[in-house]
Parts: sequence; structure tokens; C-alpha cells
Amino acid sequence: MSAELTGTLGIVVLLVLLLLRVPVAFAMFAVGFAGITILQNVSSAMALLASESFTLASSPELVIIPLFILMGNVASATGMSRQLYDAAYAIVGQIRGGLASATVIGCGGFAALSGSSVASALTMGKVSLAEMDRFDYDKRLSTGVVAAGGTLGILIPPSTGFVIYAILTEQSIGRLFLAGVLPGLLLLTSFVTAIAIICLLRPGAGPRGPSTTMSEKARAIAGALPILTVILLTIGGIYGGLFSPVEAAGVGAGAVILYGAVTRRLSFRILFQSARDSVVTTATVMLILIAAHMINPFLALSHIPTFVGEALLGLELSRLGTLAVILAVYLVLGCFLEGFAMLVLTLPIFFPVVLDLGIDPIWFGVLVVLTLEMGLISPPVGLNVFIVKSVAPSVPLGDIFRGVIPFWLAMLATLLMLIAFPQISLFLPDTMMN
Amino acid sequence: MRAVRRAADGLIGLSATIGALGLFVETGVILIDVIGRAFGSPLFGSQDVITMTMVVVVFGGMALCDRVGGHIGVDIFEARYPDWLNRWIDIVSALLGAAIFAAIAWAVWESSKISQMLNLSTNLIGLPKAWFQWALAGFSALTALGLLLRAAELTATGRDVRKDDTRLTDSPA
Amino acid sequence: EELSFANFTPPFHTINASVIEKLNADLSEATGGELTVRGYHGGELGAGPVEQYVRVLQGVADMGWGLPGYTSSQFGKTMIAEMPNAIPLDAPGYEALWAAYDEISGEFPGTVPLALWTSEPNIFIMKDHDIRTPADLEGLKIRVAGATAAEVASAMGATPVQMPINQVYNALQTGLIDGVITGASTLSDFKLDEVANSYTLGANLGRLVFWTVMTEAKYDSLTDEQRAALDSVSGMPLSQSAEEAWNATADAALEAARASGDNTVIDLSDAEIAAFAEAVAAVTDAYVAEVDGEAALAAMKGE
Ligand code: NA
Ligand code: NA
Repeated sequence: MSAELTGTLGIVVLLVLLLLRVPVAFAMFAVGFAGITILQNVSSAMALLASESFTLASSPELVIIPLFILMGNVASATGMSRQLYDAAYAIVGQIRGGLASATVIGCGGFAALSGSSVASALTMGKVSLAEMDRFDYDKRLSTGVVAAGGTLGILIPPSTGFVIYAILTEQSIGRLFLAGVLPGLLLLTSFVTAIAIICLLRPGAGPRGPSTTMSEKARAIAGALPILTVILLTIGGIYGGLFSPVEAAGVGAGAVILYGAVTRRLSFRILFQSARDSVVTTATVMLILIAAHMINPFLALSHIPTFVGEALLGLELSRLGTLAVILAVYLVLGCFLEGFAMLVLTLPIFFPVVLDLGIDPIWFGVLVVLTLEMGLISPPVGLNVFIVKSVAPSVPLGDIFRGVIPFWLAMLATLLMLIAFPQISLFLPDTMMN
Repeated sequence: MRAVRRAADGLIGLSATIGALGLFVETGVILIDVIGRAFGSPLFGSQDVITMTMVVVVFGGMALCDRVGGHIGVDIFEARYPDWLNRWIDIVSALLGAAIFAAIAWAVWESSKISQMLNLSTNLIGLPKAWFQWALAGFSALTALGLLLRAAELTATGRDVRKDDTRLTDSPA
Repeated sequence: EELSFANFTPPFHTINASVIEKLNADLSEATGGELTVRGYHGGELGAGPVEQYVRVLQGVADMGWGLPGYTSSQFGKTMIAEMPNAIPLDAPGYEALWAAYDEISGEFPGTVPLALWTSEPNIFIMKDHDIRTPADLEGLKIRVAGATAAEVASAMGATPVQMPINQVYNALQTGLIDGVITGASTLSDFKLDEVANSYTLGANLGRLVFWTVMTEAKYDSLTDEQRAALDSVSGMPLSQSAEEAWNATADAALEAARASGDNTVIDLSDAEIAAFAEAVAAVTDAYVAEVDGEAALAAMKGE
């Protein structure tokens, strides 16, 4: 059996296992392990199992995950999230779907703090899902909003996705960061538009709240001051050079714990409970990440990415045609692979073609990162959807995937606009860095 | 079976407690480091402590994560499958999970011998890597046992601990 | 037979042309196409640089490259080559390492070193701070990777901050750190040229060491002819190719930094260089004594 055939078979088996609702991480472990054993040998598979587990569990970048989860949990337990949503409700509650829009804007704000979609979806999920529930928002809408809104984390700088793209393709990180700003805001706008349309078609999805007076609004905002202070402290600390984004997660967690202790809203028992819940959510997320890193070497050894790339070059399409096919390939691969792995496996094949055709590499980077983000919310392996599921265990996965559809369409619309108007991506880097 | 379950739940709770304490250590070390650095004296070796403690945080919670049904599956077709199929899927998945965690425990244990041979430790304050590999292996072995017990319960009595009303997380360790 | 080469960096990195592709071309020519080398880039065979040695030792890949600095406790004597003033600035690092091979080979159990080389010399890469004397570093936050680098920074009065190299860009940009002591190739490899604006050259602040190794079991399984062919294309010539490629990357990056108008590039005078040498001398001496490396150091210096 050829390596390519083994790889294809592996993907089919993975699909079947997933549809048979074998836990996602277990299915990826099993297929990755078996595939590496077939293509190499069992001792390699065992060695990778050991090294990937330990490497990811001790990664200095991923420390951000448990810490932001803890921050979100404690913010909920101390009522800080509640205060935040009371304020948002007082301001935009009378608009249908207003809280969902406020959440997306919150995701955009959090994106400026975190470079990762996973961290964004996790923290915003912890903070917002129960709150939208409280105001009778439809679960499909609320979970869809968080899963999709989290993807802003990688488009709005700082972004680990752009850093990896930049290093893989020798492009400027600064230019890419700037190039992501307007598309990020455009995506945010199209998410808000999607929410408005959903609430127009299904008014029950985001029910209208009572109108409030100016003094009620002011009182609600004053009530949200503690959490607003924490948010400003963390964002300000990063941009002011006091700490790194990873450390910001620890500072944020420490700040909400301190606030809870000082105001006596946080007993030791509740704090401990929040930490245990955080550890469980961390385990869910990290196991999927580790399992994804067993699939990567399997696919690399199967040479499937090279095979797909060479087949694509054989088609000899036009500039726009090639771009469309490449993005379509990313959309399909994105259904199965973790985004960064996909970049590493495919960019060496696609990028030289892109340069040959005279496609602007910065513009291409923005398109690729947005397409990868669509993969994060598309079935069957949609990491952000799993993240939201880990935060809202009672909501069936099918509902979350259904809830995500309008936002996936909004992303597609944004992608088409970015393709049609390269200036949206290139305006800021061209004016500010030349 | 009940006594075994009680003992297992005790260990699972202890494992998660250690993970939770690790999370407090992470937070504390970062705060001390950040504040110290602002005054010109950061905590030496903070990153060593943070990354190694992370191993404990991540794997400490694995057993409890499975116990409370935290591992995510694609449940879109669950309602359309016959009961017997769902039951079999649950049992086989649990056994598969047990095999995976047993393999992780074994592989990391073997790898810890190499770490000792190569004298591997963290770069600033020299925390031996093998210690944390032992912890990872131990937590994984416990998770494997938990999955095995869940499979046994499902087979023998049909009880699915993940659907227990009294969530383990609601009781103190 | 195709030998796999694990590379944790992207395929565009200096290592690919200078070591992986070169080894592939030379080895397949020397064996009449019997042996070829295929690179697996960007961590395809496992993430990150830290586990590279173990990865090769366990046979996940037949070959791989890495930095002793990521697991410095394994490479006590090899790391002497990274210390300030251990190797003169203009002396090739690979010659020094191979000259000390008998002293350091015990630090590579289970593998066969195919290449040992060093980076271009470390320089000061700073943002908004010009460094002319050790006193200029007083209180500045300098990124370090390991314990000895931290001592070097402390010896000059700086505050060492530990962080992964891929976080340095953001940290320099926001002012979380004031600078980093490393080779000029990072200016292009990690885009540091976009955020740094002051470079100080000439002080001997050490350099980075690199290795390429092959699984011993795989090496032993080759036929005598194949092994002889591999021996002839690896070792000194491969190490030289790597080191020259690193130097070329660094030279190009420095040239670009000098050419760009908004940078300060400081070339220290001999007297200024001596001040830095004096400030860090005790660190090197203490380290060599700690790892019992007098003989290794003497061999590296050709004594
Ligand atoms: Na971001
Ligand atoms: Na997906």
C-alpha cells in the first residue's frame, strides 16, 4: 500500500470514528498512532506519543490556556461577568440580539489581548455563555457567537497565526499585523450583521429587553467597573511592556482572585472549585491539541500534502483560479487538521506558486489566516466548536455547529470581499510602513 | 464494584486537586515574576517552574475530565443510533481511551529513562525533566484505570458514571 | 533508501540548503543514488527544538539538528564553545568543536554526530538603547535562553529575562525587554530587524553551538561502503557548509541593518572590547571549572 493511500485511508477511518461519536481526541490518537506505526514503526509511534504529550503539556505558549480559563471561571464565580453583562444589557439590551453583538465586540477586544483563537473562545465562552442564557438568548445563537467570535483572536493583532505565516514565508510580522486590522474589523462588522439578520428572522433568538434610563445605564456601567479595570489593566500591561500576553493571563487571573478576596465574594471553597473546573476544561482542550500533533506526523509521512500541492500545480490555472483552488483546499483540509499544522504542511508547496503568479504575499497571508479560521468552526473537526462545547457541556454539538452556520457564511462573505478588494488588507501596511 | 469506584473517585479527586494547586502555583509565580521585574529583580527560573508545573496542571485533570464526561465527541447522530449501538460505542471508546492513556503512561515512563541518561533538566534552575515525566505517566496511568473501570461498569451494570447526578466536582476532595 | 531528517524550522531556513539538501546531494552522489535524505520541515515529525535529540535517539527520524542550549544540562562541555572569549571572534567554531571532539563526544550517546558548528558571534541587538560600555547595560532587561547566558547578562549589570526566541519580537516591540544578546542571523530569521534599532558589534560575547546527529542504530545498519560514503560527506565539510551559511545569513542581515537609515550600528574599539571581556571573564572561568572542562577549552583554543 502506498503512503498516499495509507494517508487517505487514515482520513476515512478518522471520519468514521468521529461519526460514531468516539471522543475526538481518542479518534485522532488512534488514527495517528496506527498510521505512524504502518508508515514507520511502532517504536516511532510510541516515541512521538511521549514527546508530543510532554512538549505540548510543557509549552510556554500554551500556559495561556489554563490561566485564561481560570480567569474566566473566577470572573463568573465572583459575579464580575454578571456585572459586565448587566452593563451591556442596560446599554444595548433593548436592541434585538444586542447582547450577542456586545459579545462579538467583546471577542474583538479580547483578540487585541490574546494571539490565539482558542484562548479567545475559551475565555469569552466562560464569561458570556451563562450570561446570555440568563437573558433568554437562544443557545444556538450564543454558542455560535462565541465559537465564531473567538476566530477574531488571530486576525486582530497580536496573532500567533500571522507570526507563523511570517516566519514560514519570510514576510514582515509588522506588515501582517497591520494587514489584519481592517479585515478583523470588517469580519466583526459582518458578524454583527449576521446577528441582526438572525434576530430579524427569528425574533426569539435574542429577545428585546426593557428600555433603560440614563441613570440606570450609568449605574450599570459603574457596577461593571471592577472587571473593566481588570481588562484595561491586562491590555494596558501588554502594550505598555509590563508583561507578555501569556503573563497577562496570569495577571488577569490573579487580579480577579484578588478582587474576589477583597470584596469577600470569593470563598476559598469557591476558588478551589473554580480551579478544579479550570483543570478539567484544560484537560479537554490540551488532549485535543496533543492528539492533533499525532495526526500531523502521520500526514507528513503519508506525503498527502505534497501530493495535493503537486496535483494543483498540474492544473495550470489562472491567477484567481489558483487562489480559489488553494483557499478551497484549505477549507477542506481545515475540516480535519489543526490550523498551524496545515500552514507548515502546505505553505512550502503553495507559497512559491503564489509568488510566481505575482499574488501579494501579505494579502495572501490574510486570506489564508481567515480561511484557517473558517476551518476552526467547520465540522467534523472544528476546534473552536469543541472549545465552546467544553465550556457549555449541556448544549449538543450539533446545535453549536448549526448555530455557527450563519457566522461561517459571514466569514465566507468577508473572504470574498477581501479577495475582491485587496486594498482592505493592504491599505494600512502600505500607508504606515512605506 | 462500589468500593472500587469509591477508591477510584478518591484518587481521581486527588489528582485533580494536585492539578488545581498547580494552577495556583502558576498564577503566583507569574505575579511575583511580573511585579519583581517591574522593580528590576524578576524571579530567577520562573519560566522553568511555569512550564514544568503546566505538565501537572494539564495531566492532573485528565482523569476527572473523563469522569465528568469532559472528552468531546461528535454527538450529532447519537439520537438516531439504536441503544445497543450507543452502548457498544461507549464501551469500546472507553477501552480505546484506556489503551491510549496506558500507552502514553508507558511511553513517557520509557522516555524518562532517556532523560535520566542524558541528564536532562530545565535550563535555568535545573529541575530534572524525569520528575515531571513520572508525574505525567502517573496521572495518565490513573486516567487509564478510570477509563477501564468505566468500561467495566458499562459492561456489567450499564451504569455510566459520566451521567451521575452528583458531579464529582461539586464535592470537596 | 531514503533517510529522514527532522527539521523543526521552516523549509526556508538556512539549515535546509546548507545541511539537509547538501547532505542529500552529496550522499546520493557518493552512493550512486542508494542513499538519499528527505527533510521533514517545520516540526512535521514532532514539534519544537527541545526534543530533537531524543527524537533522533529514539529513531522517530534518522537524522536531526538542534542546539545544545535548549538542553544545556546534557551538553556541559560542548557548551563551553558558547561562552564569551572561549573561541576568538575570527576563528571558525566548527574547527574548534571538532578539535575538542574527544573531550565532548561522550555528550552524544546513542547517536553519531554528522556536523558540529557554531553561529556567527553574538552581538547586542537593542531597541532604543545604545551600548558602548558594560555600564550602559545597567538595569536593562535582556532576554536570555539559559543559565550561563543569564550570568553573562548579570555580570554586565543587566536584568536577565527568560523567554522563548519566538516571543522576542513582541517583547522588544512593547518594551518588555530592552534587547537580546544573540547572533545577527536572528534579525532575518525572527524578523527582529523590524523592532530593534541599535546594534553593537565587536565584543566577544560567545556564540551558539549546533549539532546534526544520526541514530547510531541506523548508522550501524548501513553497509561498509555506505558508511564510508556518509563519513566522507559529513563531519568537517558538512560543518563548514553550515557555519558559512549561518555567517552569510548574518552578514546579509547586518549589511541590511547598516544600509537602513534608522539604525545605530556601533563597532567597538579595542579598548571598549577589552572592557566587556573583563566584565564577563569570571563567568567563563567559573563555568569551565564547574563542568571540569579545562581540557575541552584548551582543545577548542588549539592549545
Ligand atoms: Na489577537
Ligand atoms: Na474544522
